Amino acid sequence: MKTRFKKYTIFALIFVLSIVQIGCGGSGQTSEEEINSFTVGSSAAFDTMNPLSSYMQATYEFFMLIYDPLVKYDENYEPIPGLAKDWDTSEDELTWTFNLQEGVKWHDGEPFTSDDVKYTYELMMDTGLGYMYSSYLTGITDIQCPDENTVVISTDFPKANMLMNSTPILPEHILSEIPDEELEIWANENPVGTGVYKFDSQGDNFVKVVVNEDYFGDIPEVDEYIFVSYDNIDSMAQSLMLGEIDGANNLNTAQYNQLMDDENVSVISGEEKGFMQVGVNCWTADESGGNPLLKEKGIRQAIELAINKQKIVDMAYNGHGTVGTTLINPGDYFHYEPTEAELRSYSIDKANDLLDSTGYVDSNGDGVRESSEGEPLEFELITIADNLEEVKSGQMIAADLAEVGIKVNNVTMDSGALYDQIIGGTYDMFIWGWGSDVDPTVITGVLTTDQIGGNNEPFFSNERYDELFLLQQQELDEEARREMVWEMQQIAYEEAPYIIIIYANNIQAIRSDRWTGFKQIPETGTYFFNLTDYNYLNIKPVE
Amino acid sequence: MTRKIIARKLLYALLTILVVLVFNYILFRVLPGNPLSMMMRNPRATPETIAAVKEFYGLDQPWYLQFFTYFKNLIHGDLGISFVYKAPVAEVVAKKILPTVLMVGLAEIVAIVVGIFLGIIAAWKRGTKLDVATLSFSLVTYSVPTFWLGMILVVLFSVQMRLFPTSGMFTPGKNFITTFAMLKDLFRHLALPVLTMSLVLIGQYALTMRNTLIDVLSEDYITTARAKGFRERYILKKHALPNAMLPMITIIAINIGFVVAGAIQVETIFSWPGLGRLMYEALRARDYPLLQGVFLLVTLSVVLANVLADITYSYIDPRVKN
Repeated sequence: MKTRFKKYTIFALIFVLSIVQIGCGGSGQTSEEEINSFTVGSSAAFDTMNPLSSYMQATYEFFMLIYDPLVKYDENYEPIPGLAKDWDTSEDELTWTFNLQEGVKWHDGEPFTSDDVKYTYELMMDTGLGYMYSSYLTGITDIQCPDENTVVISTDFPKANMLMNSTPILPEHILSEIPDEELEIWANENPVGTGVYKFDSQGDNFVKVVVNEDYFGDIPEVDEYIFVSYDNIDSMAQSLMLGEIDGANNLNTAQYNQLMDDENVSVISGEEKGFMQVGVNCWTADESGGNPLLKEKGIRQAIELAINKQKIVDMAYNGHGTVGTTLINPGDYFHYEPTEAELRSYSIDKANDLLDSTGYVDSNGDGVRESSEGEPLEFELITIADNLEEVKSGQMIAADLAEVGIKVNNVTMDSGALYDQIIGGTYDMFIWGWGSDVDPTVITGVLTTDQIGGNNEPFFSNERYDELFLLQQQELDEEARREMVWEMQQIAYEEAPYIIIIYANNIQAIRSDRWTGFKQIPETGTYFFNLTDYNYLNIKPVE
Repeated sequence: MTRKIIARKLLYALLTILVVLVFNYILFRVLPGNPLSMMMRNPRATPETIAAVKEFYGLDQPWYLQFFTYFKNLIHGDLGISFVYKAPVAEVVAKKILPTVLMVGLAEIVAIVVGIFLGIIAAWKRGTKLDVATLSFSLVTYSVPTFWLGMILVVLFSVQMRLFPTSGMFTPGKNFITTFAMLKDLFRHLALPVLTMSLVLIGQYALTMRNTLIDVLSEDYITTARAKGFRERYILKKHALPNAMLPMITIIAINIGFVVAGAIQVETIFSWPGLGRLMYEALRARDYPLLQGVFLLVTLSVVLANVLADITYSYIDPRVKN
């Protein structure tokens, strides 16, 4: 026994010593200085470091710090200089001249020039890559670089959203080395941008950026941001309370109540651009796999009338949100508020009347209405299995609709499977959400005929809507543009391809005992994930 | 055990692995959902881009060709390229093996030692208060939901006592000056996942040990040994335990086989970067090559652990040898 014990001790000693040995090789660093390090926790996962193929919101947040667009937003969503220090437009509003900041360097030391802008925009326009950004580039016909610091962009119509273009400018000297067909799958392990923060390192569940001391603008006080993704938001809330992280995104309502009592933490339920909707399959073509009864506007409207949205807000979202109506959030400059006559607020009576008048009655007494041909009003409603709020909403909707004689079968699946059903047009109804941005183009563009087979999930098509979509892109007068965007929302609301249930809030928190200088953007909005870098640049440690 | 028998066992093991491989290949492709639409959610992608991506992953080939290519590459040790990580599967999986083996392996060792010890005490002191206490403890930890237990431990050790961090393997983004600082950070992060995992496992080991030992202790040869006047401790050590260990070996072997499969629940609660989580993420993203890679590894380890258990049996159980 004794000899064996000795043998093990020696093995263990050798093991420990060898580990210590390995580690000692890289220990030449100086001791840690007092650095301002801010860690943001989020339940959202990162996808890829490649801005050309990324689609996750969490990733866009640090792309915003690493890369610069020509023009960015201030805290009031007004355009302010990014890589362009100023800009000008021609008399006919078809040519834009951007004067670039001088002496800007990429994080690897290469000089930034107007060619990088031309290269990035043209790459996205030609290949369709950078999908989330490339839609901002519609209408651009030509890009000229008269000198290193000037970009001249010609458009085929006056481009209303030219200054609402957050496309990050990418380094030509790096991307041009990669064959075109590999750009989509390029890993971009070491992103090089011009932004105020430089990519530092990336681990299994975090991305770290450090301040770029050579930045052309003001240098913020926070030296490094670490973005951490959590698999479990309960752990994230605990980490925040313990001070392991400094900020948290996407908390749940129970944690909101808990954090309200914590004096070290400032917690908000902030309005976020976007909504949760029931998408209804309106595809009229023969290959549509949806229930044909849903092509009828009256049925879609009756469904909306019968849904108690307020109850969903209160019960599935614990009151953290507002009842939904149109495509653009209330509080937004472009939001259209339906008139009293147009509004379809919850009313079982009105829903019953509408269904009675369109000839759907329960003739066989099974509690489900039928058409004159005996087709029952029975639909499948798909929800995404791991989104608890949406699953709960789906069940509440099924119960609501049963009241008016519409039978709903709830089905859950994962987002990938739902995506395939949507692309194939084989569903009846589904629940999902959209995030949107400052420029109304992307979110209203979703329902244009052009987007069928892509973002136009309900296969909605309306001539007037499409026409207005093109017109509003070309209207530089803000108020006139708003009139058009209003009419589009009015049409979409009347036709009801989307039944918008809730504008849900995002619950976020910051350790206010350590940090100051942050605010909600806009006034009732959020700290992070609000399309601006204001808080990242202005957060300061508490003295 | 003769060489012939060992060779036959290895052959069977190989066959099992082959069948599982084919089964996995088909299973993942029967799942609903198109990997390409998961991979690039870009309705604006040009046909050239889509074609390039398809070609890169070999998805442009008919299914039977993809099938044969998979096996051909497998023989060369090439597991394909992960759709999500856009990197070779072997590389992605390799990175996750160490964290998982470290965490689950440690938990297994703790659980085996403590579990067997508790089981012996309970059986030895059968019917006493000590037995009841051990039995209750084992039953409670065996049946408690892992997720709940993990959160309770977080509240207790992280929130109340502030002893250990809540999640991760290292403090994110931290640069370690010395190896000692790094190891300290690692062990602080390891504590709670290992504790949770071992608590869940202890019950199973303790209960099995207790039951088999009680069976053995009521055998005639134990009575004979007592009649011969051996001391109780001696009887336990030399007569009872060797026989009671047989079923334990089976359970331990099976569990060790699953060590590499990780522990999806524990890894999720503590955001531990291991294989269990990788498997879950791969499934969500329809990452077939990655799923196959992880399943291959799990299959290999389970089958090998069983072969090892068989061989161990022949050493500790003379009946099997003959």
